[in-house]
Amino acid sequence: MQLIVNIVVLASIYALIACGYVLIYRVSRVLNLAHGELMMLGGYLLVMTASMFSGNPLAAIAAAVVLSLVVGVLVYVLLMRKMAGEMVLAAVLTTVALGVLLRGLMLLIWSAQQQYPAEALALSNPALILPGGGRISTFAAAIVFANAFAYGALFLFLQFGRWGVRMRAAGQNPLFAAQRGINLHAVYALAWGLSTLTGSIAGMLIALDSGLTSSMSVIGLKAFPVALVGGLDSLLGALLGAGIVAAAEILSIQYIDPLLSDVVPFLVLIVALVVRPWGLFGTREELDRV
Amino acid sequence: MSETALLQVEKLEVVYHRNITAVQGISLSVHAGQIVAILGSNGAGKSTTLRAISGFLGVDDARVTDGSVTFNGRRIENRPPNEITRLGIVLVPERDKVFPNLTVAENLAAPFAPWARKRGASEEFVYHSFPKLADLRNRAAGLLSGGERQMLAIASALVCRPQLLLVDELSLGLAPAIVADLTARLVQIRNELGLTIVIVEQNAAVALGVADYGYVLENGRCVLDGDSARLRAHGDIQEFYLGQSAGSERRSYRAVKQYRRSRRWYG
Amino acid sequence: MSRNTPRASGYFRTSYAQDFALIQTRFERTALAVFVIALAVFPFLATVFYLDLACQVFLAAVGALSLMLLTGYAGQISLGHAGLIAAGAFTVGILFREFAAPFWLTLPVAAAVGAILGLIFGLPSLRLRGLYLAISTLALYFIVVYVGGEYESTRGFSTGIMVDPPKIGAFALKNARAWYFVLLAAAAATLLICANLLRSRTGRAWRAIRAHEIVAEALGIGVAGYKLSAFVISSAMASVAGALFAYYRGFVSVEAFSLFLSIQYIAMIIIGGMGSLLGALLGALFVTLFPYLIEAVLMKLPNAQSYAGALFAVDYASFGLVMILFLVLEPLGLVGIWRRLQNYFVLWPFKYRPVAGGRK
Repeated sequence: MQLIVNIVVLASIYALIACGYVLIYRVSRVLNLAHGELMMLGGYLLVMTASMFSGNPLAAIAAAVVLSLVVGVLVYVLLMRKMAGEMVLAAVLTTVALGVLLRGLMLLIWSAQQQYPAEALALSNPALILPGGGRISTFAAAIVFANAFAYGALFLFLQFGRWGVRMRAAGQNPLFAAQRGINLHAVYALAWGLSTLTGSIAGMLIALDSGLTSSMSVIGLKAFPVALVGGLDSLLGALLGAGIVAAAEILSIQYIDPLLSDVVPFLVLIVALVVRPWGLFGTREELDRV
Repeated sequence: MSETALLQVEKLEVVYHRNITAVQGISLSVHAGQIVAILGSNGAGKSTTLRAISGFLGVDDARVTDGSVTFNGRRIENRPPNEITRLGIVLVPERDKVFPNLTVAENLAAPFAPWARKRGASEEFVYHSFPKLADLRNRAAGLLSGGERQMLAIASALVCRPQLLLVDELSLGLAPAIVADLTARLVQIRNELGLTIVIVEQNAAVALGVADYGYVLENGRCVLDGDSARLRAHGDIQEFYLGQSAGSERRSYRAVKQYRRSRRWYG
Repeated sequence: MSRNTPRASGYFRTSYAQDFALIQTRFERTALAVFVIALAVFPFLATVFYLDLACQVFLAAVGALSLMLLTGYAGQISLGHAGLIAAGAFTVGILFREFAAPFWLTLPVAAAVGAILGLIFGLPSLRLRGLYLAISTLALYFIVVYVGGEYESTRGFSTGIMVDPPKIGAFALKNARAWYFVLLAAAAATLLICANLLRSRTGRAWRAIRAHEIVAEALGIGVAGYKLSAFVISSAMASVAGALFAYYRGFVSVEAFSLFLSIQYIAMIIIGGMGSLLGALLGALFVTLFPYLIEAVLMKLPNAQSYAGALFAVDYASFGLVMILFLVLEPLGLVGIWRRLQNYFVLWPFKYRPVAGGRK
């Protein structure tokens, strides 16, 4: 039973991070390899707001959430907008460089020390006992619910919201979308904002659950195969991919070798690239785009 | 018509990849409420002119290097497409004219409509003008037939409430009956809305059947223009574009070259 | 064979051999001679610190040249280059520790290991292109690093493998000056191999594949074979670079081959300028010297001591910033800047090069 709980928690973490990759890729065909660092930034923003609103955890969390949305939009407006017409590879390398820059800045501002925002906010993280005998910490449960909520909200928004339809339209045919009066920069900025928002929420919850170290961005990188296995432009695929990768990882830790945890997602990635490169639900034409 | 033109193109020059001049000094003017046709064979520069007007040029690494495009008194060459759409010029492109993975209803909801309150009225009008689309509201646009897709393309352009509608190669790949139906609806829409339309066509018969005025392009230059009745009666148009030979003799290639040269110099 | 350097008029070639030659004008010959003399004299004038810098630049140059062949010329994007370098280093480490193998055995074996690994890294390229290929190389990098880490921990070398310097008889290669010449020779040899490969049929095939793969296939170029050959050759070279690195440092550890190293190699070819061997060299020079530059600047500021702890972070952040600046503002890299300068002086008073036959 505990195994299942662990898989669900890990899958929720991966899914929440992966939807950030999917959002940006679907809308602008850019792979945001700085997502791990942006996720970590969310955790550090919470540390910052925790010291600003030290008595009021709700205000601190709300402020951090709003800040992360702003950061995502700013990243697009100040940097990625300039790469908007260029080759996709150049844009991807720009995100790699951005990740390096962010990492350096975070190290500079907050040092490599481990941070505990839960303590700073005087929040406790008791373990809950589930029916069936499994245990789950409060914040891990929060991650599961946050993930479900985020996916539900995103599905509804993309399907029925006017800007959601515009985002899907821009993803399919950017030039035609521009011709129909859709402001592409606004759509892309929105995608980056939402992506950073969901990633930051994941980062914050992980930080609240188990502390914030300077190597948290590795989790972001491990979540990337999840997005690919599901199909880089499919949210549903990301959800399923998260389940598959999380299950593979937890089971191999349990039954094969605990040290495999960092490499299992990439093994799954290789298998996926060999068997079905466009992922479970991705659009097949993605394969040839350079 | 003595009032100033809605759209005025002056000596337009468009260059691809910095060394191929596709359009060399074209001038045309379109007045409000007119349907203007631009005719010519392949490579004459018709689509390029349309793209220059609608801002679609950047895709093919092309630029307007000389001349001007003026709409409602405002210079619009080299502006991005979504700005031009918001000014009131909307293009129905030749390919890639719908969002294939969105439904018909979503295709009509996505475009930008200048007055949000009147969006509902626009959509009602569109469903009224193209009743078939109302039946296909929830079908994915990629699954529509050619004629239905073209209807949807025109409909999504109309949602943007254009002052000037540019239609690129309406008849491409469509059966003649459908083309006739579409052109009839276009005229009807023009009459109801007072819309101005510019159509670019290789099929001169279709174009001259629906247009008020026409320009004939060859090799990037405008060689002939006039109202459609005059063009239809013009011997050269009949011979080269409508496929009706004037006399019984076939003209030799040399004679054709002579004709083209004389047209260019003495036109 | 198209050379991009603009020349003053009156330069004619009358045979194929002349057209193909690497050094073509008298100016180039003299410039090369001066450069060679400078390189030869340098170690006798420089301190050990600068000798070490130069050696690092040479090692980086070998890696950058190999990546430039693969990504800049053949167009196969590889984000896992550090994995190949690690493979070469670990081969040396493992052979030395387990079998006490001498260097004239380990180097060829490292090259062979690199070639085989290159074949594996290259197999996805037959099916995938662009971004997906880059992702597959990234995944393979993680697997290589994992294997290396596993070896370290299972064999008890958790802090790394120590490697003795290469020996011929009684003479061990420890002197900094000696290493300078050895690595200079290695870099020069790599440069020559790359230049000759690019002049040959293989090089032309690679350029065709990069430009337009489907057209290349239609023209009868065996695309699959040439793609794999690009991976194999590039990986063998990178492995040798890794092996040399292991001997030079005397120490092999998986932490030295982080993802950041891969990013640094990509940065070398981008900052240097894609599609140009000179770019690889310039990029290697720039990226290797960059941290030292930052440190020097930081130490000049008042209150220098308090910044010492933050040096790594400043390094990291400014590296990212410089990479972004080059990607956004100067996509042609240092070579682009160099060519613009050349153009300005050679073409003056004209401003633009003729379009026909010129690459950007």
